[in-house]
Amino acid sequence: MRVLVVYTHPCEESFNAALRDGAMSALAEAGHETRLLDLYAMCFDPVLSAQGRRDYHTPGENEAGVEDHLEHLRWCEALVFIYPTWWYGPPAMLKGWLDRVWIPHATFRMPEPNRPIGRVLTNIRVIGAISTLGSPKWWWWIMGAPGRRTLLTGLSMLCAPCCRTFWLGLHQMDSQDQASRADFLARVKHKLLRLS
Amino acid sequence: MRVLVVHAHPNPESYNAALFRRTVEGLNARGHEVDACDLHEEDFQPVLTRAERVGYHAIPANRAPVENHVRRLERAEALVLVYPVWNFGLPAILKGYFDRVFLPGVSFKLMEGRVQPNLHHIRKLVVVTTYGGPRWRAFLVGDPPRKYATRVLRSLIKPTATARYLAHYDMNRSTELTRAAFLGRLDKALAGF
Repeated sequence: MRVLVVYTHPCEESFNAALRDGAMSALAEAGHETRLLDLYAMCFDPVLSAQGRRDYHTPGENEAGVEDHLEHLRWCEALVFIYPTWWYGPPAMLKGWLDRVWIPHATFRMPEPNRPIGRVLTNIRVIGAISTLGSPKWWWWIMGAPGRRTLLTGLSMLCAPCCRTFWLGLHQMDSQDQASRADFLARVKHKLLRLS
Repeated sequence: MRVLVVHAHPNPESYNAALFRRTVEGLNARGHEVDACDLHEEDFQPVLTRAERVGYHAIPANRAPVENHVRRLERAEALVLVYPVWNFGLPAILKGYFDRVFLPGVSFKLMEGRVQPNLHHIRKLVVVTTYGGPRWRAFLVGDPPRKYATRVLRSLIKPTATARYLAHYDMNRSTELTRAAFLGRLDKALAGF
């Protein structure tokens, strides 16, 4: 399977970086072809500019500056996000990747009268999110898990009709000890070794 | 009332920018003290840097990179957000405003590992937003931006504060009529300040 991993964290010594390394090695071990996008390392600009917004609906022109990212999206069969949840959602860096790369025509067709939005990226049949969260699980659900919905539910509606999703979250990150972090890393590897 | 209005649309010709101007003018006309913060106009940098992440919990040094925004937030008695919903979330520039400005010691405090809300000086929250898709589609996704406003932000401000969520759904198929009607709804909400 071709797997695109989108990783977002500013610190190389973070637990998220360890999750990224664990995920990449598990995917390789399972025989998957992988590509890694490290948004901080590539200094991705997450802000859709005024001109970008004006060109947003123009096929071709709206792809300026994100052609490579679109090529990755057309290539992959699985899309895996690894990021810290900040304020109940993805960091601005990752949200901006959605704003700038998930554009009309290239990733979805605008709705016509009485017809919903059309799927374009039907090559993507699995979307996963691996995240660390400061909040306890019960509070995350009371808040409505907005980041999970945006990334998994929202994007899967633009991918293959049978697109599956998975979520792995480590809650109360600030008070987790070494053992529970190692457990979570093992869960992540276990999941990715069985990705299909 | 001291009102902080935060706006996040890059295009000044957009309907969303018109909503922002209408909000600021409407509040000014009613004698409120308005601080209009157009994140694009102010060239706000939404990316939390490595240095900021490392110093995130160091109160009060953590506010230094965004001191100006922290001061403006702390002065506010009401918070109004005017932005478009993109991909069922906030535009990155606004998400980054929360990532960088809503710091420990500013919007919340950690007491014995538990988060305590710290924006009790805000006693009114109004969100003015536009969605490309229809409401049923947002509903299918669980309407994460609505939850963000009415649950996450609501939980940080004064417990008795009032919160309004004004949304024009289905902008892709909007007409003169629907846009005018929504401006009317906005005017009514502003009259309630």
